[in-house]
Order: sequence, then C-alpha cells, then structure tokens
Amino acid sequence: MLIDIRNLYKIYNEGKESEVRALDGVTLQIDRGEFVAIVGQSGSGKSTLMNVLGCLDVPTYGDYFLNGTDITSLNDRKLARIRNREIGFVFQGYNLIQELDALENVTLPLIYRGVPAWDREDMALDALARVGMEDRAHHRPGEMSGGQQQRVAIARAIAAKPPIIMADEPTGALDSKTGKQVLGILQELYREGTTVLLITHDDHIAATAPRVVRLSDGHIISDAPQEVDWI
Amino acid sequence: MNLFQAFKMAFKSIACKKTRSFLTMLGIIIGVGSVVIMVSVVQGQNQKNMEYYEKMGSNKINVSAYSYYGNGDDISQKLYAYCQSMPDLVLGITPNIQVWNDMTIQYGAKTLSTQNYDNWEDMIQVVLGSDQYGVCNNYELAGGRELSYLDIQNTNNVCILGGRIKENLFNFVDPVGQNITINGQPFQVVGWYERKDLEGWPELDNIILLPYTFNRSMNNNQPISDYVVKARSASATVEAMTRLSAFIDGLFPKNAEGYSDYGSGGVSSDNASAESIQQQSNMQAMVLGGIAAISLLVGGIGIMNIMLVTVTERTREIGIRKAIGAERRSIIAQFLIEAAVICGIGGVLGIGLGYVGTLIAGKFLLNGMQLLPSPMITLGAFLFSVVLGVIFGMYPAIKASGLQPVEALRAE
Repeated sequence: MLIDIRNLYKIYNEGKESEVRALDGVTLQIDRGEFVAIVGQSGSGKSTLMNVLGCLDVPTYGDYFLNGTDITSLNDRKLARIRNREIGFVFQGYNLIQELDALENVTLPLIYRGVPAWDREDMALDALARVGMEDRAHHRPGEMSGGQQQRVAIARAIAAKPPIIMADEPTGALDSKTGKQVLGILQELYREGTTVLLITHDDHIAATAPRVVRLSDGHIISDAPQEVDWI
Repeated sequence: MNLFQAFKMAFKSIACKKTRSFLTMLGIIIGVGSVVIMVSVVQGQNQKNMEYYEKMGSNKINVSAYSYYGNGDDISQKLYAYCQSMPDLVLGITPNIQVWNDMTIQYGAKTLSTQNYDNWEDMIQVVLGSDQYGVCNNYELAGGRELSYLDIQNTNNVCILGGRIKENLFNFVDPVGQNITINGQPFQVVGWYERKDLEGWPELDNIILLPYTFNRSMNNNQPISDYVVKARSASATVEAMTRLSAFIDGLFPKNAEGYSDYGSGGVSSDNASAESIQQQSNMQAMVLGGIAAISLLVGGIGIMNIMLVTVTERTREIGIRKAIGAERRSIIAQFLIEAAVICGIGGVLGIGLGYVGTLIAGKFLLNGMQLLPSPMITLGAFLFSVVLGVIFGMYPAIKASGLQPVEALRAE
C-alpha cells in the first residue's frame, strides 16, 4: 500500500458558525503504480484532499500513512524531504518561477535534493526532453505558451523521478489539444510504473484514468475502475 | 542546498530587479559613504594636528619664570645651570624670545623684513636663544654650526638662518661665513637649519636665531621670562617638570598667603596638549561616526521594509519552492543571503563613494591634504553593512519560511 488514509478530516473554523468540513471522514487506499482520477465539483474537497496527500497541508484529524510512514507525526523538515523525494506536483496555474528559465525551474527540486551540479543539468535536460521542451530550455515562463509552461512544470515534477505524480487540474488552463498532450504524458508515466493522481472536475479528463474516485461535500461517494480512454 | 547555490540565487534575484535593488542599496551606500568620509576627515584633521606636534618635537616643556626685579638675566643663568645639572633628564634649555621691534635684514641687494604683511609667508622672525635652541625646538642643522656658549657669553654678532630665509637670501650658495646686516648691524652667518615645511606655519622656517644676550639691545631690555626645556623622554618630561616646578618655587619664595613677592612662574608640556587633542579628535570621530551610523541604521530599516515587501510579493514563489521540497532553512538562507548581498554590494559602493568623498574633502577642507580612509574603516564599514543586512533580513526571512506551503501557494 503506497497511500493509506483513514477517517481523514480537514475542518476550517471548527466549532464556529462558519465551520467548513472540506474533508469529512475520507478513507482511501492507493497502491503503487495506480492511476487514480479524483473527481468532484468545485468545493467538493478534491483540492484539499490533494494538498493533504501531497503534504502541502496537514489534516485536522485522521491518519495518513505514505509508504508506511505516519505523515501526521513528521516535522516541517521531514515533510519537505517527502515533498522533494516522493512527490512531483503539477498545478493548474503551472507555478513556475518567473525569474528563472525553463532549465533552472526544472533544476530547482534537484538543487534542494542535493544532486551534484554535474548531474543536475543532465537530469533536468532529460526531463525537458521527455516533455518535448528541450529546445526551450533557456526560455523564461513569460516567453512560453500555457501548454509549454505546463509541460515544463511536468518536467520539473518528474526530474527527480519521484514515485508519485500529483496533478491538480493540469489541463484547466489549456485548450483541448494541448490538454490532450499533457494527459498523454501522464498516461505514459503511469505505463512506466509511476503512481499518478489526477484531480479534475471534468469526467472526460477523468476518463483517462483506470480508477475514478468521486468526491462530494468532503465525502467519497464512489470509487470504481473504468474503461480507459487511451490517448 | 549549498551556500554557493544560495548566493547564486540571491544574485539572480537582485539582478532581476535592478532598479529596486539599487534604490534599496541607496540607504546603505549613503550611510556607509558618510561614515567613511566623516571618520576619515576627523582622522585627517587629527593627523594634521599631530604633525604640528611632531614637527615641533615631543617632550618639550614650556617654562615661564618672570622676575619682578631686574631683567631676568640671573634667572636665565640659574635655570641654564640647573638644567645642565640633570643631563640624564634634559637634552637642552633655551630662552624662547621673539624680537618684537621692526627688523630689516639685508644681504647684498636683498632685503627681508619682520613687517612684510603683504607677503606673510616671507615675513621673518628674529628669535633669541641659547646654544641649545636647535635641540629644544627640533631644528636640524643643515650646514655650519649651532651657536656656542661663548657666542652667548660674549654676545658675538653671529646668527643661524631658518631654511626659507637661507634660500631667499643665498639660494643654493653656502651662507656660512657670509655677513648680513640686521638693522644695519653686521652679523656673520655660522649655520642654517633644514626646513620644517609644516603646512600653515611658514614662520618656523623664517627665523633668524641670535644669541639671547642680544635681548638687552634688541628688545629694550625687557626681562626674559619664557624658556623651552627639551626632555629626553616622555617619562623624563614628567620628572623634569616636577623638578623644574620645585626649582622655580625656590627662586620665588612664597609668603604666608601663598603668593610670592619676587616673581612668578610655572611649567607646562606639549605632551599633554597633544594628548588632549588626540582625545578630542577621537571624541569628534565618535560623534560624527555616530551620526553617520544613524543614517546607516535608517538604511538598514529600508532594507527590512523592502525585504518584507519582497516576502509578501514572493509568497507564491516561496510556496512553489516549499512544494518542490525547499526546507525552511533553505528559504531563510535565500532571503538572508539576499539581504546580506544587497547590503554588501551597497557597502562596497558606499566605500567607493566614501573614498571619492574623502579625497574631495581632503582637497577642499584640509588644504589639499592627500586624504584616504584607513583600511580599518573600510573593512569595518563593509562588515557593518553586511551584518546590518543579516540583522534586518532576519525578520522577513523567518516570516517567509514559516508559511504553510498551501497558504503560500494560494497567494496571488
């Protein structure tokens, strides 16, 4: 079991009138090498779930074991290590650093990981090549289209070869053609054995994943395998 | 993440916002510049003051002994003899008298005057002294000989010239053995002194020294009351002052009320004045340096302000960095190094400004003195500005690093 959460709650303003239960007792297990789409409408708690699963946020209650490690007991520094080594993030808004060019953005997690300088560039260029962006290595985000930026962001997520990729609405800001390219890359990663979590509100996008978890009002309302729409 | 990477990131981030980084640095540049200039100018002034004392010679004791009866000749004799009796403490003694009457010196067709107010740099002084005048006033003989004891005893018509007068009258010719006239009276030149070339004090090289026994004829027989005693060392100065003070008290016995009916006198030393000037200028340096340091502090607060703005502006970037695995200390290091680098560059530019300013200040405030800040001030100013950056960068850095990644990512 790679990801194992039990009775997970994320409650804002607990006990007050404005209390919001973003996650209301979620239990979910994901095996190594799975490709899971987490689907739900806006406000269903799917982004909160990804933030907690990605160690970007801490749950209010509940257990979270990642690879057997109790995440809720870890300190800031250890969480940073897990984010760095275990997980690669792809965000809706790309979240590239504007002052750095594509190569530098992709290199950044490798720097934090402590990869020696002579290996870093090779690894980063490999990652850029995988998403077809090697010829844009020295362009800044401002000089690239949305689809290109998202591919650079994927390169950054996979540069350190983490076992898990978490993508939060990765195609949300893209047109359908470039969106398809991005989803294609995710499917390819899955076929190579990477665990992929895809968060989306769109059933068509969710159709690219073999397993769909549906979320509503902080609850899991369904969790089932499906026919995959291979790209 | 290693330190080298952190520095690289800091430089990159500063380079990306050149105008803002420069404006931030401006406070530090002006602060460091003014500290360097102010401290250097005070030090230069001090150096100039000390130069006077160095040229005049240290361990000088000024003795005054004014007899209410007679012309003081007997007092001169007694003091002279007393000083000769303690050769382990005293190098020499001389009366220190200037002739106040108008004097005209002639050699061939050349004339010099004590009344040359149009060109005061060439105005001469006729001084009267003993055979130890040169030693006492730190003059070096350039040629010929000093006055002798016999010249004084016999009131010989001999003189010694200061370096400038020698050049004005004789140019490069050896003046020894030549005769000049002083108010028509012939005097033979027996020697001349090296120039002191002390800025602002040309009269030191414009002296004509005669045996002090000419006091009667040239100074209307006014009593001699001022003497200069040259001691061997700083400690000898203290000892000789004590002894001379007691000796003068012995010359002028006091009555029951503590006053003397015979005369008055006392001793003082330039050593003390030199010391107090040194202290004064140290004080000045501290006060002015302090004022300048306040402007540095203001510059530092400017840095903190900008770093705080930067943290707020870059919250999202901090979130991204944390999301991809930056540890808290990496974020702290990044912002701290950025602040320190801004301050460090500002410090270097400020030191440059300080050097230029000090050169200009030396030229215009200190009569064209070649003034440069000392390496200690330079190093100190640089380190101070870097430390300032670290201190004022600390709060924003800690603030930035403490954010939850998800909160930071939510920022626009």
